[in-house]
Amino acid sequence: MDKLFGYVTPYKDELKVREYNTFKAYYCGLCKTLGSEFNQVVRFGLNYDFTFLGLLLSSLDEERDKIKFEGCIANPFKKKPIIVKNKNLSYSAYISVILVYYKLLDDWKDERNLLSLMGMIPFIFPKNKAKNVFEDKYLAVVNNLDKLAKLEKEKCDIIDESADVFGKLMEEIAASPFISDDRTIRVLRWLGYNLGRFIYVLDAFNDIEKDVKEGNYNPILLQYKYNLEEGLESFINRVREPIEFTLTFTLDNLAKSYELLDIKYNRSIIENIVYMGTRQKMMQILKKRSCKK
Amino acid sequence: MKNPYEVLGLREGASEEEIKRAYKRLVRKYHPDQYVNNPLADLAEEKLKEINEAYNILMNKRNRNNEDNNNWNYYRYESDSYNEFNKVRRLIDMGRLKEAYDILENSTNRGAEWYFLKGVILLKKGWYEQGYQHVRRAVNLDPNNVEYRNVLNNISFRNETYRDVGRNMGYGGDTSLCEICQCLICTDCCCECMGGDFITCC
Repeated sequence: MDKLFGYVTPYKDELKVREYNTFKAYYCGLCKTLGSEFNQVVRFGLNYDFTFLGLLLSSLDEERDKIKFEGCIANPFKKKPIIVKNKNLSYSAYISVILVYYKLLDDWKDERNLLSLMGMIPFIFPKNKAKNVFEDKYLAVVNNLDKLAKLEKEKCDIIDESADVFGKLMEEIAASPFISDDRTIRVLRWLGYNLGRFIYVLDAFNDIEKDVKEGNYNPILLQYKYNLEEGLESFINRVREPIEFTLTFTLDNLAKSYELLDIKYNRSIIENIVYMGTRQKMMQILKKRSCKK
Repeated sequence: MKNPYEVLGLREGASEEEIKRAYKRLVRKYHPDQYVNNPLADLAEEKLKEINEAYNILMNKRNRNNEDNNNWNYYRYESDSYNEFNKVRRLIDMGRLKEAYDILENSTNRGAEWYFLKGVILLKKGWYEQGYQHVRRAVNLDPNNVEYRNVLNNISFRNETYRDVGRNMGYGGDTSLCEICQCLICTDCCCECMGGDFITCC
């Protein structure tokens, strides 16, 4: 597994300054939460995908989030708007710590990369704390990561099948433990599933070159039967269209779930991410190679 | 009962014109066509009902029956003798995908309908690539079947809808400024060839 996220971001060109500041306030809020719940080092594991989760879940709450003005290590003298820690940001922080820990563990197992081993140390206690607080979610994550590792070992050559496992993982995460309404949970689950599927397939496409070089598992290489004679460039050109098709449909399903949620706040920012930010990220990655050469 | 203005996303006392516009936009958004083979289709239907009610209240047309959306069902049931595929269809309708899948796996009759139904199950559980391939296979095997073709076309149609929504919000990430210029210059050249002019200065 090689999911280091960062695929779920806003499309900045169409964000109002006010919206941009709000998004950043959530980003900083999550960062501060990581620091206060765990330790300073885990703050480096901060990423946009979990900011989106925190933002989305917070926006379903009746109560509007509070903003405070504070400096931070990166910029101690300038006071910036920051969302005050709430249960949803904490939840995102706990989940992100679990995933980063396992990502580092995986890197260590695969590549014997000492940096990942060192990097794991500050995550050990936070991971255990997260396990105690959200045990169901912790078990669901570990269980699905095991399944994914097994599929990788078996060299599963169906993209849908591998993506399904990561989709289920995100589905569990999106089903927030603080929401009791069955209808909302159902919608969040399907939204999470499609989000996970999007991240997984896009990440696999992004890694094609690297995986060929290093001989890693990659379901796209297997399903579309890459061989050396064909060459990387023409392989990528061959798979780009079907991958774009399936990813766009995944985003459509994500958007359709979003439309069924009863969002109370931050609608325009979330819509921006759902309809434009994710799409822009997808196009950047799909078109990246054709531009370079 | 929710406030009908709220349901349509309008402020209290919006004009008839605004109500109509909001209603049209929402119907398009939650239309069953947008939720074909989506496990949340029933929720979208509820939402649409709510929107219809709100609209009828605001337009004082409570008695108008909304025949457009209530009896919408894309499945074509064959009423003749028992058929295992009809059973599969019923199971799919009830959301019992695993059972439906098992019957198909044990079936020896692997024609167009088999591929179609398996495709529908795959689409519903989020396996969009396999699902699309299966439905496409069904269309190839039976090119005259409207039902198969509709499901296949719906996927492309939905991708287009998704892109349209982004485009209307201002998304322009796919085409660079350069391409737009190229396009304009080409248009200009064409116009000039035909005796007109698109960009007067060049």
